[in-house]
Amino acid sequence: MHELSIAATIVESVLEFVEARQIGRVLRVRLAIGELTCVQPEQLKFCYESVTQETALKDSALEIESIPARVRCSSCAYEGAPKYWMESLADTPVATLQCPVCGKSTEAEQGHECAIKTIQYVS
Amino acid sequence: MTPIIEAVPEEIYDIELEHSLLEANAKLARQNRALLDEHDITAVDVMGAIGSGKTTLITKLASIYQGKLAVAVFNGDATTANDTDGIAALGVPVVQIATVNGCHLDANLVGKALKRVDLEALDFIIIENIGNLICPAEFPLGSRSRMVVVSVTEGPYMVKKHPHMFLGADLVVINKIDLAEVMGVKVEQLVRDVHTLKPDLRVIPASCKTGAGLDEIAAVLAPKKAAAHA
Repeated sequence: MHELSIAATIVESVLEFVEARQIGRVLRVRLAIGELTCVQPEQLKFCYESVTQETALKDSALEIESIPARVRCSSCAYEGAPKYWMESLADTPVATLQCPVCGKSTEAEQGHECAIKTIQYVS
Repeated sequence: MTPIIEAVPEEIYDIELEHSLLEANAKLARQNRALLDEHDITAVDVMGAIGSGKTTLITKLASIYQGKLAVAVFNGDATTANDTDGIAALGVPVVQIATVNGCHLDANLVGKALKRVDLEALDFIIIENIGNLICPAEFPLGSRSRMVVVSVTEGPYMVKKHPHMFLGADLVVINKIDLAEVMGVKVEQLVRDVHTLKPDLRVIPASCKTGAGLDEIAAVLAPKKAAAHA
């Protein structure tokens, strides 16, 4: 359940922000979560709801924007969407680091994001 | 009745933060890495499910390195300390890291463990992560490489079920291959699955029982200066 420690970090970060500006209530927190992280949005939302109780974030909405993976191949210079593994047993096809063009290993240049993008609040 | 005050639109503010939630750990991981580099120490983060054989493999590796490399082992465990007796019996310093039911080690805990060993005297630190194939992937510790251990006793679909862990690995060990036939698991299929995810990832089939693959793993993980001695 790393979602719990991530949820706790969200609350900690937002509360720090809230206290510094004497904000009354947070309405919405928007996250960007990369496709290559193994953060489960549903679990994260559940954890968020639990850890925001009795804080200025209580009842705030957590919105999660999914950031698609992008890879770069140093062998054939391909840049773009990754090759997906359809036979995997995960819920959805899994992004791999195999180059869709030449089959060599690629480097991920996008998809590891795990960040707070914006906070909406009432003064 | 509690009065409800609705905000008028002018009072609602949106602010861009771009605040990374993993950065705090990543920063500590970089500090750990700098400290290790400063002392010319190589560290490896060993990840794998409960029962994949991480501790036994680490004990075997520690015994291979004995007399050649000064090794320490950090043993992550949710609660107990009974994993490390075999390693300590080799005279290897062991630091137990209890996460108190946390599901992964983080760079902060490893940083604390680094204060408990004599860095001047060490060449190599093996960090055994918590038995878990999902969580540790997002939390680098500052090690130079990450090794994932899967065993054939976990069944034929371990890689297909937990692909994320392999994307960030530098070495994969397929453990307990002496049991592959009994388990009806094809080692080559597991190797193919790993290579579907990351074609150049090194995969070493091994068995702590027969000793297969152990010297190869030891050679791959060992710091460069030790390889030069060999």
